[in-house]
Amino acid sequence: MAKLILLWLKCVVLWAIVEAVFEDQVGKFDWRQQYVGKVRFSHFDTHVQSSKKVLVATERNVFAALNTRTGELFWRHVDKTGSEGNIDALLQHGQDAVLVVGNGRLLRSWEINVGGLNWEVVLDSGSFQSACLVGQQDMVKHVAVLKKTAISVHYLSNGHQKWIENLPETETVDYQAVYSDGNGEVYVLGVVPHSHIAIVVYSMEDGEIIKQVNMSVEAPWLYNIQASCVVVGQGMLTCVDSAGVSFYMLDLHLQLQMTQVPLQSLALEVDPGFHPVLLSHQPNPARQPLSEFFLQLGPDHYQLLQLNNGQIAAMRDFKPALLVSFATTGEKTVAAVMSPKNKTVSKCEIERSLPSRPVFSSRAFLHIACSVNLFSAETGRRLLDTTLIVNMDPNGGKPEKLYVQAFLKKDDSVGYRAMVQTEDHTLTFIQQPGRVMWTREEALSDVVTMEMVDLPLTGTQAELEGEFGKKADGLMSMVMKRLSSQLILLQAWIGHLWKLFYDARKPRSQVKNDVTIENLSRDEFNLQKMMVMVTASGKLFGIDSKTGGILWRHYLHNVPPNAAFKLMVQRTTAHFPHPPQCTLLIKDKDTGLGTLHVFNPIFGKKSHVTPPALPQPILQSLMLPLMDQDYAKVLLLVDDQYKVSAFPSTKNVLQQLQEMAASIFFYLVDSSQGRLSGYRLRTDLSTEQIWEVIIPPEVQKIVSVKGKRPNEHVHSQGRVMGDRSVLYKYLNPNLLAVVTESTDLHQERSFIGILLIDGVTGRIIHEAIQRKARGPVHVVHSENWVVYEYWSTKSRRNEFSVIELYEGMELYNSTVFSSLDRPHAPQVLQQSYIFPSSISTMEATLTEKGITSRHLLIGLPSGGILSLPKMFLDPRRPEIVSEQSREENLIPYAPELLIRTEWFINYNQTVSRVRGIYTAPSGLESTCLVVAYGLDIYQTRVYPSKQFDVLKDDYDYMLISSVLFALFFATMISKRLAEVKLLNRAWR
Amino acid sequence: MLQRERIPLQLIFLQAALVVAWCFTDVETGPGAGVSTQPNGDRFKIEGRAIVPGIKTQDWVSTARVLVEGEEYVGFLRTDGSFAVNDVPSGSYVVEVVTPTYRFEPVRVDITTKGKMRARLVNYIKTSEVIRQPYPLQIRASGPHSYFMKRETWGWTDFLMNPMKDVYSTKKMMLVMMMVLPLLIIVLLPKVVNTNDPEMRKEMEQSMNMLNPNPELPDVSELMTKLFSGSKGSSKAGSSSKGTRPAAKRR
Repeated sequence: MAKLILLWLKCVVLWAIVEAVFEDQVGKFDWRQQYVGKVRFSHFDTHVQSSKKVLVATERNVFAALNTRTGELFWRHVDKTGSEGNIDALLQHGQDAVLVVGNGRLLRSWEINVGGLNWEVVLDSGSFQSACLVGQQDMVKHVAVLKKTAISVHYLSNGHQKWIENLPETETVDYQAVYSDGNGEVYVLGVVPHSHIAIVVYSMEDGEIIKQVNMSVEAPWLYNIQASCVVVGQGMLTCVDSAGVSFYMLDLHLQLQMTQVPLQSLALEVDPGFHPVLLSHQPNPARQPLSEFFLQLGPDHYQLLQLNNGQIAAMRDFKPALLVSFATTGEKTVAAVMSPKNKTVSKCEIERSLPSRPVFSSRAFLHIACSVNLFSAETGRRLLDTTLIVNMDPNGGKPEKLYVQAFLKKDDSVGYRAMVQTEDHTLTFIQQPGRVMWTREEALSDVVTMEMVDLPLTGTQAELEGEFGKKADGLMSMVMKRLSSQLILLQAWIGHLWKLFYDARKPRSQVKNDVTIENLSRDEFNLQKMMVMVTASGKLFGIDSKTGGILWRHYLHNVPPNAAFKLMVQRTTAHFPHPPQCTLLIKDKDTGLGTLHVFNPIFGKKSHVTPPALPQPILQSLMLPLMDQDYAKVLLLVDDQYKVSAFPSTKNVLQQLQEMAASIFFYLVDSSQGRLSGYRLRTDLSTEQIWEVIIPPEVQKIVSVKGKRPNEHVHSQGRVMGDRSVLYKYLNPNLLAVVTESTDLHQERSFIGILLIDGVTGRIIHEAIQRKARGPVHVVHSENWVVYEYWSTKSRRNEFSVIELYEGMELYNSTVFSSLDRPHAPQVLQQSYIFPSSISTMEATLTEKGITSRHLLIGLPSGGILSLPKMFLDPRRPEIVSEQSREENLIPYAPELLIRTEWFINYNQTVSRVRGIYTAPSGLESTCLVVAYGLDIYQTRVYPSKQFDVLKDDYDYMLISSVLFALFFATMISKRLAEVKLLNRAWR
Repeated sequence: MLQRERIPLQLIFLQAALVVAWCFTDVETGPGAGVSTQPNGDRFKIEGRAIVPGIKTQDWVSTARVLVEGEEYVGFLRTDGSFAVNDVPSGSYVVEVVTPTYRFEPVRVDITTKGKMRARLVNYIKTSEVIRQPYPLQIRASGPHSYFMKRETWGWTDFLMNPMKDVYSTKKMMLVMMMVLPLLIIVLLPKVVNTNDPEMRKEMEQSMNMLNPNPELPDVSELMTKLFSGSKGSSKAGSSSKGTRPAAKRR
């Protein structure tokens, strides 16, 4: 029976008209951008001189190799999210890269040329402290990993453990660092906070303790070795104490006593309130570190120092200097220093930073251009011709890290390229004398929310549109206006032709269709839009949806790290000459305090409109369809006193609000108390609670509340049944789908619930409980249906369930829907299916008029985005096929939904960690624009009912025209023949 | 029933020299139906190897991942195609090798609380059905993913061989209408309708006249023929006179 069903299904699937990608459409209207996230560790691959790789390990648990020439990915490995995939350390030796992952849980070695795994071993539990490569006689063969209570040494070749030793006296000593310089000993450095330093020396061969020093080295000022100490020169542990303003030095080989060197004796002075930081460099783990090191004395003040025979000597002072870095090539080591080029503070910069709270870090960066210079590490002398100019993006953040790739030129001098990482997660790779080779906007790896905004019309288009908008003022002037606009169109067309002709003569490589903000304009089908993306780091982007080019970027300083964002389009481009306007609500999740950022979505510029200050925590924000006299939609903000404020809040708006107040309802969700409450606006802009639903938080918690999308259109009011009667849909625009999960997670008792509530009256339309099921639940709520996906603990599989609501065979009030006047409860149909994969996110396609059939776009963990026709999720799918169901085109019920790779809209362009899918209608009814974002960004178009309103790409013009001509000539010939025949007959 | 199935299975397993299989000799009701995930229990390792026949491993391993139950546990492939997913608690999991290029079938792996492993085919409908798979996993790619639909190509041979293959395409439908219908009318209509019947003839003539509403207007095709014949000059005229002559003779 099952086989039969399967066969049936296969038949059905084969015959069902589904959309898919054709091979020749690849890259035609879709693009993908791959990101890695904010870089935490980075190493240039130096084991081959000509290598083009830079390894990056990021805060989003990604390990990747980038091409230093183009900035593209060679390969990328995406680990689990969260702390279990967290990369603790990256060590590189030759063509192996060793990673410590998941707080010291795993040790992995990657082959960096292929991007394959060499080995992976599980380490004993214990929180990770530090790791280093251990060399012996110039050969690096081991890696040492220090945990809170134990140290283990592993072979680099296969990951096998050479030895593991428990650390002595772990109750009192906090071991923090491990160090080795190739003499066959491993030094473990620990500290008893505010008391003394403990040092344990292990033999590399067998893990035997050679020497143990405790109690004798007093260091009452020290509590964090890694933050304040480095090993310099011939094993000299050098620490800096900010309170005592002095160096402390300890010879690790002798371990006698810490010697104190006051910074004043070197004529050094620490900026007030700054914790000095040391930076040393160990080019080869089998050799000793350099005896030169940097001391950072202030936010823009560095000092190069040298340790010589136990004496510290100052070599060179760098002020102002933003960042410093060491780099080694061959036997030469250089120090790169990045300093601001000019200290002139442009006026706009100040203006921009004024509204934000004045924080020290944001004020420190007001320099627009910086320069990087190389200095010889041994002498501190500046190397000639090594200046590199870095032009900082005025809309970006300040530089944070500097990575330098040094190489030897043919004349044995040192050349270099620099990779600069800025606060806004941007990586810029720069070559001398300042040519930017590539830029990666890694902030885009963490897109939180986005909107698509129509592009503005061009001047000529606006002219034409304007003609229809104006009032008629006489026949003659209308004719003149029409003629003039036609003339303008003709002119534009000739100009276009001329450009085509001109471009055709040029070689193809020179013709560049560079899209800039200036030449942006809407295309005839409105397929090209501006994607406004908001990232977690607080950087906003404007991306051209056609090419994926970043047209503008704007970094918002002082965005709290755990902020929630809500982006709203207040005014579209349709209201020329008023500029389009977007408003971003940034809310601190802890305090609930919000700020508004108002900007122009086409140019990214901050608007002149000053948003209201929000002194109270914000509970809810809602966009009303009301507009002020400047066509900006009204945004209502509800604060924790249940007071409502409007933005913009002109007299006109307030008057409109007063008139409309009786019909403005909103709801609030308090998931911690399980409270769902509905409010009504009063004319004095206060609120009044009209309903409340309590879901006991001890039993179940509210995980999501989904309304319908406001820009959704439903074309047909009902469905025609097999017997020609009509089943009317229950199209309640105020319906909310509330999903709850049980707090009891035991697999026998856990359940999920779904509640359909009318947002105006609080009436519960429907309630469903799925027993033996747990989240995460993904919900899509649209038209008259709700689709949700959950994990069935009983059968250990993912299941889809669909709820459809119908009014019945008669419509109560077909002209307008009112929640307050709907006496009949809707009919509810539900059906469930098995889905053979877990899912990451789900969204439904959206088209302009809602005529096109709907598809569900499902982001899978494998990176595919499945376009599943909604007709597979239809609770009216019959178990037994009847004449009527066939008439209605219903697919017979089959328990399992299939995943066909032909339905992947992104073919092999996988999107890692899909977080959201954004759908937007285009000017064509058949076409829906789709953007999937997560670690990657993928943009494409889908045609859920195929392209019924435009000629297809493969339209055979040749065939049609040849047939037409053939028919034409055939008619002519046959006519002639008929004439001859008639004539003959006449003669007969 | 189960007993009967088990014996050949064990034989296969013996041949495969998989000792682990012996631990499952007791009749199990469900695939670890009693096995629940313990948060503090032991952690185990799922091992296996993925093979793409005919392709060097270094060409595809860098894009591959091993996903255990969605993205709950993630493993990576070694340069020789083998993999191990560490730190997995006991339970039942669907293990899947995902690459953008090749298709691998998922396998369900059951781990008991003692760490005994077995692998079986994934069956989402009958979740307790056990069809054993080798463990450590041997996952062989069943070919490249097919992401693209084929464009409907159209050739004359196609049309002649089986014109009804997919008449759903409007283009073809039109062609069929244009080419087959007139043929039917020309060939079959005279046979079916008795043309000798004068009444019938009259009726047909009338309908023909209906089609040609204004006989006074010059016909486009006529115009064209005149144009072409005119340009061809005297030779054409000669040939046309030749054409009429036999008719004259006949009379």
